[in-house]
Amino acid sequence: MDITSLFTQFLSGLTYGTILFLVAAGLSLIFGVMNILNFAHAALWLMGAYFSYTFWSWMQGNSFAFWLSIPLAGLAAAAVGWVMEVVLIKRIYKRELYEQLLITYCIALIISDTIKLTWGVTNKLIVRPEMIRKPVFIFGAPLDSYFIFVILAGAAVAIGLWWFLKYTRYGHIVKAAVYSREMVGALGIPIPRIDTWVFTLGIFLAGFAGGIQAPIGSITLGMDTAIIIQAFCVVVIGGFGSLLGTLVGSLIVGEVFSFTILFWPEGAMVLIFVITAAILIVRPWGLFGTPMRT
Amino acid sequence: MKNKYLFPLILFLLAVVLPFIVPEFWVHVLTEILIMGLFAASFNMIFGYMGQLTFGHAAYYGVGAYTTGLLMVKANVPLLLCLPLSMLSAGLCAAVLGYFCVKLRGIYFAILTMAFGQLVYYIIFQWYSFTGGDNGLQGIVPPDFLGRAANPYYFFTLIVVAIGMIALWIISASPFGYTMRAIRDNAERTEFIGINVQRYMHLNFIIAAMFAGLAGALWGPFNRSVAPDLCSWQHSGMPVFMTVMGGPFNFLGPLIGSAIYTMLMAFVTSFTEYWPMVSGIVIILVVLIMPGGLLGLLGDKLPFLRQNEHSTKETNG
Repeated sequence: MDITSLFTQFLSGLTYGTILFLVAAGLSLIFGVMNILNFAHAALWLMGAYFSYTFWSWMQGNSFAFWLSIPLAGLAAAAVGWVMEVVLIKRIYKRELYEQLLITYCIALIISDTIKLTWGVTNKLIVRPEMIRKPVFIFGAPLDSYFIFVILAGAAVAIGLWWFLKYTRYGHIVKAAVYSREMVGALGIPIPRIDTWVFTLGIFLAGFAGGIQAPIGSITLGMDTAIIIQAFCVVVIGGFGSLLGTLVGSLIVGEVFSFTILFWPEGAMVLIFVITAAILIVRPWGLFGTPMRT
Repeated sequence: MKNKYLFPLILFLLAVVLPFIVPEFWVHVLTEILIMGLFAASFNMIFGYMGQLTFGHAAYYGVGAYTTGLLMVKANVPLLLCLPLSMLSAGLCAAVLGYFCVKLRGIYFAILTMAFGQLVYYIIFQWYSFTGGDNGLQGIVPPDFLGRAANPYYFFTLIVVAIGMIALWIISASPFGYTMRAIRDNAERTEFIGINVQRYMHLNFIIAAMFAGLAGALWGPFNRSVAPDLCSWQHSGMPVFMTVMGGPFNFLGPLIGSAIYTMLMAFVTSFTEYWPMVSGIVIILVVLIMPGGLLGLLGDKLPFLRQNEHSTKETNG
């Protein structure tokens, strides 16, 4: 096992971690503000991938089609998320935990079948532009050149979210709402509107992540059921509602998965669940979260 | 007092008579209703009686199914012996995993049970040499004295499930069962009167897992095979669906929910492949319109369905 192949493995773990971060960031944000564990998150992520395919095929031939379809996928998913929040999610903020989980789970089922109805069961493939078809070599380790874009996009989203939460007025409101919804409401800020926008933002991130995921391989039905559980793991490891935690959590999961698969392929997923369970037992609020107020 | 046994008795008589009336396909559906009903009832020991949502209960169902499957395929152990052994193995799994789960509450409990469920799922999925991996195990057949027709295995299932349900009923109506209700309603106060809440919850978790294992053990010979999907988190969602449909605050709610869910599924899948969407819409409507499930709704109108205990919703903190 030479250093180059280890570095290759590190890069692939980084890519996987980035994708997980993009999915889990929205999940963590939504849970942090609204205390809703959104089972439908990965279904919307998958829908984003299909949206991106559709936009790409509409604009096929244009040089910008490939790049433009990714943010458009995010916007289209956000529109679905907005409708979902206004029609259904709004009604369940004050409901019991199991009702919230069931509703979002059912929405996931409905969205998955909607995808099947709309795009059919055949796999979809986005053809990449010429410039990102060949691998690049970093210190002799081959890396799919698209992965560089994936990692950069993930970093951009992380920095963008961090800036949003730290320096904008709305970011401050969101952070305050993670801490205490009641207090924010008492200050005269319309919590229902904040909920809607946070949810929409979270789903935008999911759709955007789906758009980024789409050109990596082919887009297939059922991709969402595996990633939702891994995104839960990321959020648990990092801590609900913590952006830094989500980033660290997704890198941990990505790298652990990537390296374990090299030495012990059967145990890769098992190890991730062991880590998640261990974190839950020792520190239920995660590495960077704060103990939950109940 | 007499009314308490009227509804279960009607159900039992119905279960005895129905297979002679309906076509064979529906006998299979009835068998599935019973197996899933026991599974859902065992889930409800944790959900309805202990007030915690487990999203990994299929792990113990799957462990039970695999115990019976492996014993029957690899060692030719008779089914009647496999059933208690499946309960034992599922119970042992729960003794280990549940020990950690009961330290947590609410959403953390739900996620930890789910993580453990996925852990079991991936172990079974990856362990090709022992469990057959994603191929599962084939050739699990009911014992010879039951033959190959649908009815005998149905009645065998009915007897086992009836015994299982009665056992669960006795447990839930015992002082232990009332302690669980006390923990559900207010764990803190229960602790104050000198009850070791965590140990009681752990015990209840193990009991629930044992009966899930029993239900799982019945599945293999019924389906002639077992697959790792039996342990997946999607399968853990089924008892949640059923219990919520039937009513978590009634002992027979999960069984009724299993009947509605399974029959609806058998009916809907006969003409469309979009069953997940239909089930999703139905359950959203159930949650929004009748939060107490079918028996909760009917219980307000028909007194004989009502249980004599007060069945209020759990209170937080």
